[in-house]
Amino acid sequence: MNTPKEFLYSKSHEWAKKLDDGSVLVGLSDKAQNDLGDLVFVNLPAVGDSFSAGDTMCDVESVKAVSDVYAPVSGTVAEVNEMLLDTPEAINKEPYEAWLVKLTDVSGLEDLLDADAYIAVCEEE
Amino acid sequence: MIQNLQFYRGTGNNPYDNLAVESYFLQHCQPGVCIFYLWQNRQTVVIGKNQNAWKECNVDLLEQEGGFLARRPSGGGAVFHDLGNLNFTFVAPLEDYSVDRQLEVIRRAAGRFGLDAQKTGRNDVTIDGRKFSGNAFQKSKGAGCHHGTLLIDVDTTQMAKYLNVSAKKLQSKGVSSVKSRVVNLRELCPSITVENFSQALLESFEEVYGLPIQTLDDKTFDWEEIRKISATFASWTWRLGREMPFSYELEERFPWGGIQLRFDVNNGKVTDTQVYSDAMDTDFVEKIPLCLREQPFSLPGLADALSPLAKIPQYTEMTADLQNFLRNAPQQEKGGDAE
Repeated sequence: MNTPKEFLYSKSHEWAKKLDDGSVLVGLSDKAQNDLGDLVFVNLPAVGDSFSAGDTMCDVESVKAVSDVYAPVSGTVAEVNEMLLDTPEAINKEPYEAWLVKLTDVSGLEDLLDADAYIAVCEEE
Repeated sequence: MIQNLQFYRGTGNNPYDNLAVESYFLQHCQPGVCIFYLWQNRQTVVIGKNQNAWKECNVDLLEQEGGFLARRPSGGGAVFHDLGNLNFTFVAPLEDYSVDRQLEVIRRAAGRFGLDAQKTGRNDVTIDGRKFSGNAFQKSKGAGCHHGTLLIDVDTTQMAKYLNVSAKKLQSKGVSSVKSRVVNLRELCPSITVENFSQALLESFEEVYGLPIQTLDDKTFDWEEIRKISATFASWTWRLGREMPFSYELEERFPWGGIQLRFDVNNGKVTDTQVYSDAMDTDFVEKIPLCLREQPFSLPGLADALSPLAKIPQYTEMTADLQNFLRNAPQQEKGGDAE
């Protein structure tokens, strides 16, 4: 399981990465993509949608199931990664490159887990 | 750990109501409880959450013949339901959700009739390589939903008619269905009926989980909430209006010349129409897209939308031919083999 130090993580297996302009990219962790299996479709939220941490943000379909993706932090969708509509498998190949959404007006980053704490959570599962 | 088995048998045959009950169970999933739900739909094609309806199903023909098109919230491909099909659903908290254990219930029910059922791939249950059950899955808010078809005595001619559509006419994103060789359980064991297979499922459910079943009383359900969910499932927006751009091509020769049409569609509505013809004058070719823009995509519906052109004397005959062609196209599309 690949868990880069420069990312923050939620217990529901999303990652968050703060950019220099204060916005935050959100994606699925390596463990999430591994558990989900091969992804075949990604339903992204709309630009302008707002979420509180823990809300259902969008969903992904793998060969196993349709699964909800949760907002790891509160924020507003400023951008979605439309490339994933054509290449959902990018999440399996490069989970930390294949961001789903870019959020602005973000709060709650301090409640996320660092890599070590996230690894500990995954080991308990 | 599962401590309580609950069972509910759906009472109606409307797919939107039945899917709504299932969603209600998923949204109100309780710790330690596994719900088993049996239900049947009348003349329905159910597509997966992320499928293009027109790519997987002859929607116009199905609707012309009084059938339902439903989109389920789980993944996977298109299936046909009639009253010879029995649907099952397991809903359980994710910590107690086990597809293998759930499928063991199905396997054992078939075993009670002397049939040796096998899980094939991720989503199918087969006997001697022929599929009698297609399964699909959804996970939401800590709960899992596993549902599937059970072909007891389904009309496979109808199945083929609605599910076999020409792939070359339609280019779209979305999840594609996988064709399989299917078999009705009744063909393998003539004494099987929906009723006695339901009973076998319940006995197997108790056996696999080692607990007695409690039958749910639907008077305790929040029917107002279920009706709201059902209205969403029945809505054009959920079934057909989702954002998924595609193009659909048709061509035909008439006594006055040939015509090719290409409809570009998104959110279920025509965004643009390209017309190629060796016979029509430019004015007529330019008027067609104007009539069709923003119309919901349905070939008979688009035929109706051309009616203003029939009022222009020099275009009356060509318009009538085109309208007839569009209205009859769903019938021409009928598939052949049962798959």
